[in-house]
Amino acid sequence: MTQETVLENKPTKSFHVVYLDPARTHFSRQGDTLSMTLEGDAPEWQQRFPRVVLRACFPVADKSVFLSVRDARDEEQPEIGILEDWTQLAPADREAIAAELGLLYFVPRIQRIFKIKEELGFLYWTVETDKGPKEFVMRNSVINYAREVESGHWLLIDINQARYEIPDINALDHTSRKLLNQFLYL
Amino acid sequence: MKKQNTLEPLHLAELPTVVVHTLQTEGGRLAEIRLAVQSDLAADGQFGEQWLLIDSHDLWVIERHNGRANLRHKFALDEIQDAKIERCVGNGLIQVTVQDRPHVLLHYSNELTDRFGRVAHYLHERAESGPATPVPDPDADSHKCMVCGKLLLDTSSKVCPNCIQRGKLLKRLLLLARPYWGTMGIIVVLLLAGVLVDLLPPYLTRILIDDVLRSGAHPNWLLWLVGGLMAIQITRVGITILTNWLTINVSTRFTSGIRDQLFAHLKKLSVDYFDKNQIGRLVTKVNQDTEELQGIVSQMTTFALNIMLVIGIGVVLFAMAPSLGLYVLIPTPFVLTAAYFYYRYMQPHFRRFWIARWRLNSMLNTFLSGVRVVKAFAQEDQEEARYHRRNETLLNSRLQVDQAWSRFYPLISFAFSAGGLIIWYAGGNAVLDDKITLGTLMAFLSYLGMFYGPLSNLTHISQALNRFLTISQRTFEMLDEEPEKQSATPVRRPSLKGRIEFDHVTFGYDPYYPVIRDISFVVEPGELIGIVGHSGAGKTTLVNLLCRFYEVTQGAIRIDGVDIRELPMEEIRKQVGIVLQTPFLFHGTLAENIAYGKPDATRAEIIRAAKAANAHDFITRLPEGYDTIVGEGGAGLSGGERQRISIARAILHNPRILILDEATSSVDTETERQIQEALSELVKGRTTIAIAHRLSTLYNANRILVIHHGRLEEQGPPKQLMDNKGMFYQLVQMQTQLASLDGVATL
Repeated sequence: MTQETVLENKPTKSFHVVYLDPARTHFSRQGDTLSMTLEGDAPEWQQRFPRVVLRACFPVADKSVFLSVRDARDEEQPEIGILEDWTQLAPADREAIAAELGLLYFVPRIQRIFKIKEELGFLYWTVETDKGPKEFVMRNSVINYAREVESGHWLLIDINQARYEIPDINALDHTSRKLLNQFLYL
Repeated sequence: MKKQNTLEPLHLAELPTVVVHTLQTEGGRLAEIRLAVQSDLAADGQFGEQWLLIDSHDLWVIERHNGRANLRHKFALDEIQDAKIERCVGNGLIQVTVQDRPHVLLHYSNELTDRFGRVAHYLHERAESGPATPVPDPDADSHKCMVCGKLLLDTSSKVCPNCIQRGKLLKRLLLLARPYWGTMGIIVVLLLAGVLVDLLPPYLTRILIDDVLRSGAHPNWLLWLVGGLMAIQITRVGITILTNWLTINVSTRFTSGIRDQLFAHLKKLSVDYFDKNQIGRLVTKVNQDTEELQGIVSQMTTFALNIMLVIGIGVVLFAMAPSLGLYVLIPTPFVLTAAYFYYRYMQPHFRRFWIARWRLNSMLNTFLSGVRVVKAFAQEDQEEARYHRRNETLLNSRLQVDQAWSRFYPLISFAFSAGGLIIWYAGGNAVLDDKITLGTLMAFLSYLGMFYGPLSNLTHISQALNRFLTISQRTFEMLDEEPEKQSATPVRRPSLKGRIEFDHVTFGYDPYYPVIRDISFVVEPGELIGIVGHSGAGKTTLVNLLCRFYEVTQGAIRIDGVDIRELPMEEIRKQVGIVLQTPFLFHGTLAENIAYGKPDATRAEIIRAAKAANAHDFITRLPEGYDTIVGEGGAGLSGGERQRISIARAILHNPRILILDEATSSVDTETERQIQEALSELVKGRTTIAIAHRLSTLYNANRILVIHHGRLEEQGPPKQLMDNKGMFYQLVQMQTQLASLDGVATL
């Protein structure tokens, strides 16, 4: 590893995947800004990235594996490397990543459905999510805007392209299930 | 539940007191705040509340949580070098650059993108142009409901669903049906006549039983009565046939008229509209919705008939025997509830079945169109398993439908016949007590048989009406879409010379994500200009702007000194010809395809164009020559052949300005040579803008523009750019290395 953290010398496009060593990769958050430090073999080889952006390669299937870390300073946000399993990071770094992912992937999980109303081609939902209560509007087309990720696990997309997740339909209470059954034709 | 008011525009007076308090301790004053916007997300990633406040000097981000407010960021506006918003998943963030370091201010949910986009845009502008930059209204011209003024959740519609007035919608639909009002009137009269005719037979049976069969008073009436019943049935058949015929006629013509209107409107819409709406959804709107509309119009006739029947029979029942009439009402609630639950219960089963069928169909479709890939990767078994799974789902949903039906049908029949039993008992008693005659009872029972059916049918009238309104709404939504902007006072030019000027043009498909930034250049008439750059640099966007498929966000594009916004649209399109990377051939003959832009072209002109496009030879070799039918994608022709057809089309179109958008990048070297020959004929005497991946094709360009990340990186004659050793040089170097692999190094 070199000391280069200056933007001019951004890595040229490579066809090789760079994996980051969890033991030598550190993250910290200041406000909502996530920065990363890569340890080098010598202290002066340490690299610091003032803001990095995370992208999960498999955001639906599993966010804990294959996390792409990208340099936010460049408009193209070039990839610095991939963290294969970020749960192996040191506790403080792990916390920073978890908090950042929670913000980047804002996909509330629906815990309870109070009401679904159909009106002129739209479904109006009133729900309780793990991130607080929410009302949202979805086009009434199960084929286009509701996706069954795997049996019982659903992803809903509202008219603003916001996503809502139902991790397990069978874990919901009776009323919620009934409403889903009625409007999503499960 | 907490009230969600984040979508409402903000008034400073509504700023929570704790936030104001924190602002004051941090050196701000409420009276001086010029911009205050609220985010609906908290710092911890929950739904919550954060405020971004700006006065003349500073920016604050304050979070309110559990009744307390705390400062998250404070920056002096003069320190901010840049600002932008970034899309995340389900939310976005606003970032500022201070002392060359990026800082994320806050996250907001997707519905507030417009609002924070404006704030970021303002901060960006202020950083570039100084404190005089006007402060925007963060909620200005967002999509607001035309009726109530609330922010619209769905940007593709004009009115929020709450404000759609069902009455108005129906009225509008009725106005659209104006040409059919006469026929509709006749249908109503026929329906009434039908109801009257339906009411007669039980009345006649009553006479038959009481006066002929039981008392034997008028045995000679028998023949007349049976004859009468016969005549009534014949009349009924006649009326039914006529009603159906008229209904089908009206509904079909009405919906096909709407389809025509939709298409006529569709062609006027801008390219922008087609980007925003999936093709599939538009096809649904134009074809399926009108189809369904037709079905529902017919269904509405049935409803009308049933309403009349229920009223008519109800009146007759009560008139005949008021006491028995009351008994009829006893089973009515049961019938209604049963019917209501039936539709509620059956409908989802049907929907489930349709969805399963759709999934199976689309899977088969994918398999068939990708059959080569399936075979190449030897995945037949996996596909079979997948098909089997979906087929299984379909089977199950079909079984569910049928089982639900078989469960419900006997129950609903029971509900109907139970009503009859009550009448048998109560009516039987009345007959025995000589309160009514047997004939009256029999007539009563016949009427009853005709009563519950229509009544239960009416229970899903609201559902059908709702569906009807939904579809009508979707249809009107599209008809209300504004057509491409035409200049109010277009400047007419007898003939264009073809001088093109881009003057500080900035553009983004989404205004907050510019893809073209401040580009200026001039192309003199007759020049050949090459545009190069990495894919995604904005080359095609430049061309789209020149054709005015999209409007520039800032700056102007001029042709011969006139802003293209002031030129009539058809004039621009007539003067600008395009040859695209993937040529599109319409279904029709080759001759028709070549003459697409000039349908009145003579055969000689077509041949001349084909000859100039190097296409004539291969066309004449085809068994059907110029009369060969080609499909949508131009099946049967090779890529190079299709491309030469589209060049011939452009030659015949004879535009002053020619755009070649990667015209040769999808073909092999030999074909490219042939196309290049054709093109060199085409570009003569025209202003030409050529986008090319293969830089070798630009060796004779007058000038080359290098676009990088939406900016004009460098421009000049190819030779000069090579000497400069800039970006163009690098691109050429890269390609020469690649080309030397084939041993065909060029340029």
